Amino acid sequence: MPRFLLPILVAFLITGCAQNVPDIPLAEELYTKIQEQLIMAQPGDIITLPAGEYRFDRPLSLDGIVGVTIRGAGMNETVLSFKDQKVGAEGLKITADSVTIENLTIQDTNGDCIKLQDCTGVTLRNVKTTWSGGAKEANGGYGLYPVACTGVLIENCEASYASDAGIYVGQSRGVVVRNCYAHHNVAGIEIENCINSEVYNNRAEENTGGILVFDLPDLPVVNGHSTKVYNNTILSNNHRNFAPAGNIVGIVPPGTGIILLAAKNVEIYNNDILDHKTFGTAIASYHITEKPWENQDYDPYTYDITIRNNTYERKKALPDLSKDFGKMVNLVFKGRPQDILYDGIHDDGREGGTNPMNICIEQAGDDLRFAMIDAANDFDNVQTNLTPYQCVDQ
Amino acid sequence: MRYTFVFILLLILIGCQTADPGYQGPVNARGSEFPYPQLSDYGFFVGALQEQQPNEGVLPYELITPLFTDYAHKARFVWMPTGKKATVNAEGTVQFPDEAVLIKTFYYPANFRRPEAKHDLVETRLLMKVDGSWQAYTYVWNDDHTDAKLNIVGDYQDVTWIDLDGQKQRIQYVVPNKNQCKSCHNRKQELQPIGPKVRNLNQTITYADGPANQLDKWQALGYLEWEGQAQNAMAVADWDAPTSGTLHERALAYLDINCGHCHHPEGPAHTTGLYLQADQSNGTKLGLCKTPVAAGKGSGGRTYSIVPGEPDSSILVYRMEDTDPGIMMPELGRVVRHEEGIALIREWIAAMDEACE
Repeated sequence: MPRFLLPILVAFLITGCAQNVPDIPLAEELYTKIQEQLIMAQPGDIITLPAGEYRFDRPLSLDGIVGVTIRGAGMNETVLSFKDQKVGAEGLKITADSVTIENLTIQDTNGDCIKLQDCTGVTLRNVKTTWSGGAKEANGGYGLYPVACTGVLIENCEASYASDAGIYVGQSRGVVVRNCYAHHNVAGIEIENCINSEVYNNRAEENTGGILVFDLPDLPVVNGHSTKVYNNTILSNNHRNFAPAGNIVGIVPPGTGIILLAAKNVEIYNNDILDHKTFGTAIASYHITEKPWENQDYDPYTYDITIRNNTYERKKALPDLSKDFGKMVNLVFKGRPQDILYDGIHDDGREGGTNPMNICIEQAGDDLRFAMIDAANDFDNVQTNLTPYQCVDQ
Repeated sequence: MRYTFVFILLLILIGCQTADPGYQGPVNARGSEFPYPQLSDYGFFVGALQEQQPNEGVLPYELITPLFTDYAHKARFVWMPTGKKATVNAEGTVQFPDEAVLIKTFYYPANFRRPEAKHDLVETRLLMKVDGSWQAYTYVWNDDHTDAKLNIVGDYQDVTWIDLDGQKQRIQYVVPNKNQCKSCHNRKQELQPIGPKVRNLNQTITYADGPANQLDKWQALGYLEWEGQAQNAMAVADWDAPTSGTLHERALAYLDINCGHCHHPEGPAHTTGLYLQADQSNGTKLGLCKTPVAAGKGSGGRTYSIVPGEPDSSILVYRMEDTDPGIMMPELGRVVRHEEGIALIREWIAAMDEACE
């Protein structure tokens, strides 16, 4: 390198760094005002946030006060940025019952944008969460994150660029996610260890995986069940998986519409599941992860599943090779994406002939690519015949 | 020379003028009126407030293994209304009566090698029991250390000190807000004290009238109604004193006080399945070969909370060694690493010899 280039390069680097300094100043006064209101609130209070973009360097929190509403001036009008956050990992942290958060954006938090824990009665409406720098491993895990809650409604929200799930509901009961738009996350919408959930009228697009229904071991709430996934548009979820290693969503191969993992009693119907390069819907046991667990009560199998009246269209592309799950598809079907893939791992203790896990598939047309890949036996007995899985009227 | 003399004279004069006998009255702490705007309003201390000389009925106490808070020193006191007593529950946690107040002042000696000399007072936190439930308030000291003012929303304070190695340290200390207090002091979503358990108090400290076991002292003063006796009761290991327990006991004592308040089946981290209590005997709950749940980038690309024998592969160590608020553990209460605590946990994990599947 010519010598005179060095100072230019250095100058360039310095300028480059300078541009990383946030251009919005800290809104310290507004922060103090809002946080004080949140601490001193009376039950039922409405706390309003003005229109504008404001940067805070620590989380806002609400604890123990019932029925509070946190309301912005509009999803795109009130933007709270937590870029270069100094304290705490969340943007908003809520541990209070009957809470409503609406009409605002939370972005660029160090960890999760909005975490709600141990709440009874959660409404998130017209809320956007995002990381403005695009898809990065260093982004926070979850956009909207209710956990261990009862009665959760998430509607008309938008969540993008989360390094785990844009909309994640964990260990909760009575969950509705509707009319939301989840895009460019690792997982668009994830329902994990929940009981009685409905996910409908959402658009999950350009995530690694569109919608996940998981049940994981060694948690206080295991063996979640009963989820309906219907009327969703699940489109082109072929994004590279940018989850930090060690996280369960790290197993999701790019090109995934829906994965059911250790899920029980799930109905998937009237969805458009389009343009996925690996599989439209996967039905899998937790065994497929090859991870250990300790809790003897944990049920690792997926069963009582109905898949009917969905529209499947595959992407004409090589299935993913970056994750074991994708490699499996390639191994068995050499470059051919699948619509419905079933690992075939079943509980030997269950009766039910050729379909012990009660997997019911009712899809019109003869173009459906279905496979039971017999993953437990090195793919010895791969079946593409749907007959054993036809729904039986009960 | 002459100028110096005048200057010294002036100094003495100013010194005399500001020498204030300070507060000499009784404690003035009525639960129904909490919180007062200034720390001085309570009368917990006599004389100059910054000297922290406890008033009558205000008893200093110390924990065997304390929570790490950015190397802050902590002066702890307990006050109870006349005639009221604490009891002990089945788990060995001290149950305080209504209107009891736990007082904790966070301060930094200018030079850690001379901790009794000049120091910088940062905040004094009060945990007060009112009508059966605990309330947390913090008071931030003014620059002159003459008083501390109630703070609701939290604050930053620039703090410097010379550490035990003679190195100058500078941090931006974070004063928590009320909600953040509860994010650690939390059991079943109710605010609770963390430290005062029989096993963490069971040691001898030096009082104004000489050394005594804290439990004996509390009983003698009528502060504690307890059928047990200090000499027969369990004492937690001192994380920093190898003679006080095995490596395993000291590591668990450290994890218990630093992590176990949240990572408890009834604590805020109950959703993780990682439960770090001093008496935890279930390996998975302690993190051995346990996969994370919602760690996000906090996993550091590692697979298990603890990989026996491999501290460098353990998420626990990764999160203790980071200071990024999205990665570090504990989530609050520190902006620097606790090097000595990390060393202990590394040693503990390195000494384990099982293997993950």
